[in-house]
Amino acid sequence: MGDERRQVLEMLAAGKISADEAERLLTALEGGARDGAGGATAGSASGGAPGTKARPKYLRVLVEADESMTGLKGGTTTVNVRVPMQLLRAGVRLAGLIPQQAHDQLDAAFSKHGVPLTLSQIKPENLEELIDHLDDLTVDVEGKDGNPMKVKVFCE
Amino acid sequence: MIPWGASVRVQWRNRTGRRRGFWIWVPLFLVWLVLLPVVLVLFPVVALGCLFVHLNAVRLYGTAWGIVSSLRKTLVEVDTPEVRVCVRLA
Repeated sequence: MGDERRQVLEMLAAGKISADEAERLLTALEGGARDGAGGATAGSASGGAPGTKARPKYLRVLVEADESMTGLKGGTTTVNVRVPMQLLRAGVRLAGLIPQQAHDQLDAAFSKHGVPLTLSQIKPENLEELIDHLDDLTVDVEGKDGNPMKVKVFCE
Repeated sequence: MIPWGASVRVQWRNRTGRRRGFWIWVPLFLVWLVLLPVVLVLFPVVALGCLFVHLNAVRLYGTAWGIVSSLRKTLVEVDTPEVRVCVRLA
């Protein structure tokens, strides 16, 4: 047990601090230790504890297209979509309901097109993990002169 | 919690180039109320269908509810040179 933790517990035992204060201090110490070890990931973030990274709530998609892309004269067209992460989780659960027969057909179609993906091997817990790590995702697509379009996908 | 309302904002440019538009609040709870009898009628039909395709009906209903209830705070905004439309679920 670390000295600081012991100190907090001794202060609690001596009645110098309340149980709530002790809990807050211990949480802060844990957060500090995690940051020090460089292990503060979104998956382990407890949400709101000091020193931990806040969990993203939304997936944001921003698209900006020039008039040559859209055919609309007068300037650029922008699309801004904000989707709650909870919706992604629900969608993943829906994917878990796909019957085995459909899985086989999809796998066959994927392999036919040269995509080595076996959907039946993707379990709902894997997808949950995938979504948990989406907070680190940032996709920036910027077209060249012939394709003046910008797409930005990120979590916030 | 399912979304109870949606705010829809539409703006466009008039001949002078100034933006004009309107904002409305769509009471989605009324839509849910209207849809409720339909859902209740379809409930056993869907359950039967699930039996045929070997699907867990309870999980299906749970997932469908999860999708509807997580729609809150969804935002879709499209801004073209002529029209700007913004839909926000609340």
